[in-house]
Amino acid sequence: MDFKLSEDQEMLRSLARDFLTKECPKAKVRELETDEKGYDPQMWQKMAELGWLGLVFPENYGGTGGTFLDLVLLMEEIGKNILPGPFFSTTICALPILEYGSEEQKAKFLSQIANGTAIWALAIIEALGGYKASEVEASARVGNGHYIIEGTKLFVPNANVANHLLVAARTSEQAEGITMFIVDADSTGVEVEVIPTIAQDKQCQVTFNKVEIPEGNVLGGVGEGWDIVEFILDRAAILKCAEVSGGCQAVVEMTNAYAKDRVQFGKPIGSFQAIQHRLVDMFVNAEGLQYLVYQAAWEISTGFPSRLHTYLVKAKAGEIYQRTCLDAIKIHGATGFTKEHDVGLYFRRVKASEFAMGDSDLWEERVAAELGL
Amino acid sequence: MDFKLGEKEEALRKEIREFARKELPPGWFTLLLEEESRDEDWELAMSIARKLSQKGWLVMTWPKEYGGQGASYWEELVYGEECGYWGIPGAAMGVSGVAWVGPSLMQFGNEEQRKKYLPLIASGEADGVWCTGYSEPNAGSDFANIQTRAVRDGDEYVINGQKVWTSCAHRARWNWLAVKTDPGALKKHHGISILIVDMKSPGITVSPLLNYYGVHIFNEVFFDNVRVPVSNLVGEENKGWYHLMQSLASERYSLGPVLYGNVKRLLDELVGYARETDYDGKPLSQNPEVRHMLAEAAAEAEMLRLFNYQVTWELTQGLIPIYGSSRNKAFGDQLLERIGIIGMKIMGAYSQVDPYSKWTKLHGIIQRVYLLFPGISIAAGTDEIEKNVIGQFKLGLPKSY
Repeated sequence: MDFKLSEDQEMLRSLARDFLTKECPKAKVRELETDEKGYDPQMWQKMAELGWLGLVFPENYGGTGGTFLDLVLLMEEIGKNILPGPFFSTTICALPILEYGSEEQKAKFLSQIANGTAIWALAIIEALGGYKASEVEASARVGNGHYIIEGTKLFVPNANVANHLLVAARTSEQAEGITMFIVDADSTGVEVEVIPTIAQDKQCQVTFNKVEIPEGNVLGGVGEGWDIVEFILDRAAILKCAEVSGGCQAVVEMTNAYAKDRVQFGKPIGSFQAIQHRLVDMFVNAEGLQYLVYQAAWEISTGFPSRLHTYLVKAKAGEIYQRTCLDAIKIHGATGFTKEHDVGLYFRRVKASEFAMGDSDLWEERVAAELGL
Repeated sequence: MDFKLGEKEEALRKEIREFARKELPPGWFTLLLEEESRDEDWELAMSIARKLSQKGWLVMTWPKEYGGQGASYWEELVYGEECGYWGIPGAAMGVSGVAWVGPSLMQFGNEEQRKKYLPLIASGEADGVWCTGYSEPNAGSDFANIQTRAVRDGDEYVINGQKVWTSCAHRARWNWLAVKTDPGALKKHHGISILIVDMKSPGITVSPLLNYYGVHIFNEVFFDNVRVPVSNLVGEENKGWYHLMQSLASERYSLGPVLYGNVKRLLDELVGYARETDYDGKPLSQNPEVRHMLAEAAAEAEMLRLFNYQVTWELTQGLIPIYGSSRNKAFGDQLLERIGIIGMKIMGAYSQVDPYSKWTKLHGIIQRVYLLFPGISIAAGTDEIEKNVIGQFKLGLPKSY
C-alpha cells in the first residue's frame, strides 16, 4: 500500500500543470467554447510534442510507454485546468486500437494519433442516449467487398474535427451483435452537426447515409464489438472521473481562497461555520473521489481482475462534482453566478461528464450486481 | 502508488476471521460501547479480551516489553477492520485503554507508569479496563472549560468535581482524568493536567445515565476529596491540553477502521436480507430503490476505506496526520448514519423490533445502529468539532468558534 506518486509521475504532473497554465488560461477556454473547431491546433501539436497523445503507446507506435495511471494523472490536471478539445475522445479511441487493433491498424493509426495528425471520435450512443447494446440500431450490412453503415449517432464528442470515427454498429439481430468500425470522417454520406450543450463542448450528431467502408476497417472481430465497448467504458469512465476529480479540486481551491479573502460583517466569510463546514464537506468529498480514481486506475494498470472499484467511482463522481460546484457558486455569492467567474466554467461541465460513459444509474446498477444484488 | 496489502496482513485477516467464527456466538454482531451495558455481554467481552491478548492481537503494535507484538500499522488497520466487521467484543477493553491511554502513556507517560499500566491493559484482564473523564456539564465541545479541580497537597492531588458521559465508568478500574490544576492560568487551555485515578478510591461515586433507549453505556462520575499520588500525573502539570490533543488524535484514528468494518458488515447483511426477502412476488434485491441505496452506500464505504488507508500510510511514512483522523471519523459517522436509515427503510416494519425478540431480523443490528449512531457521532468530538479541525488545520480557514 503506497499513496505516493513516483518521481516520473510527479514530473509529468508538474509539467502538465505548467503547460496548461501557460497555454490554456481561462480566457483561452472561453475562446474555444465559441470557436467553431473547439480546440487549438497549435496547442494540439505541442501536446503531441510533449508525448501526451501517445502517452500509453509503446515506442514503436510513436508513444512513450506510460501506464494507464500516468494517463489518469494527466486527465486529472486537464480537469483542474479545463482543456477544451478532443484529447479525451481521441484517447478513448486509441486505447481499444492498442488492445484490439491488427498490427497494421496499430502501426498506422496509433502513430498518427501520437504525432498529432489524427483526431478520433467515439460514436456509440443513439437516440435513447444510453449505453446498452440493445440501444444500438445503426447497422452495418455486408456489401460488395465493403460494409455499408446506416444510422444516426448522438453525443459524439468532437466529431466536428475528427479525422476518424470509431463506430458501434449492428451486424446481427442478437442484442449484443455489435461490431466496431473505423470510419474515415471524410467518407461520402457522413454528416456531422454540432449539438448546442451547456458546456459548449462540441458534442455532435453524426449521421451515416449508406456510408461505404472497406472490409478491413473492422476493429477486433465481427460481432465482438460490445466487448470492445465494455473495454472502452471501464477505462474511459476512470479517465472521465479523473477529469472530474481535477475539476473538483480546482473548485474547492478557488472557493477556499475566496472564503479567506471575502470579508462580510467585518470577518472573512470562511470564519463562519455555515461556510467553513460546507467547504470541509466539499474538500473531503473531492479528496475521497481522488483516491477512488487512483485506486481504480492502479487496478487497470496492474491488471487487477475486479472492476467493482471502477463502477463505484463512476457511480459517485457525478454527484460529487455537482454538489461541489453548486456549493462553490453559493459560497461565492452573486459573483459566482457571473459569466466572468471561473466557477461557472466548471459547473457547466458537470452534466457532460456525468453522462459521458453512462450516468450514475448505469454504474450504480453495475455496482449493485457486483455486490450480489 | 500501490493499493494492495501485503501477504502478512491478508494472512492475519484470515486468522482473525477464523477466530471470530470460532469464538463468537452465531450471527453475533455488536457495536462499540454496547457491550458495556448487560452483564452477560460484558462477561463475554472480557473473556474475548483475554483470548485476544493470548493471540497477541489486543495491543499488537505496542513494543514487546509492554505486552505487544511490535506489529505494523497495516496489521493494526486490518485488525481494526475485522473487529468492526465481526463486532468482536472486548477488543477495545471498554474503549479507552487500548486505543488511547496506552498510546498516550507511550508518548508522554514516564517509564514507571508504562511499566505499571501497559501490561495490565495488554493482559485483557479486568484491571486493565479504563474509562476517560473528559466531558463535564459545562465542558462538552468546549473541552478546555473543565472545572474539576485537582489541588496539590503534599505528595497527593485532591480532586473535587464532576464528570459526565463517562462511558464504561461502571466497568473500569482506572480513569484517564482531565483536571484543572491552575484555574488562574491566563488561557483556560494552560491550566489542565492528566491524572490516573484508581476507580476504587474513596470519594468516587459512579451514577448511571441510561441512554434514550434504556441502555447503560455512560455515567456521571463524582469526585469528593479523592486523593491520588502525585506520581499519577501523566506528562507535565498544566501542559495537559497538548497531551490531550494527542490522545484525541489517537482516539479518532483508532475509530476509522472499526467504523469501516461496521459499515461493511451492515452492507453485507443488508445485501443478504434483500436477496432473501420477497416482496410483492420478487426479491427486494430487484427493487431499483434498494439497489440504488446500497450501491451509493458502497461507494462511500470505499471512500472511507481509502481514507483510513491514507492516514495509516502517512503514519508509516513518519508523517503526523493533521486532519485525516478527524476526516475519517466524521465521514464514517455520516456513513453509519446513512446506513442506519437505509437499513430501516429496507427492513420496513421489522426494523423497529428489539434484538432478542422472536420477531427480530438480522439479530436487530440495524435497529441498534439506527439508535446508536447519534451517540457515536458525538463521542470523541462531534461532527462539527471534527469539521472545525479540518477547516482550520487543513484548509487554513480562520477559527470559526
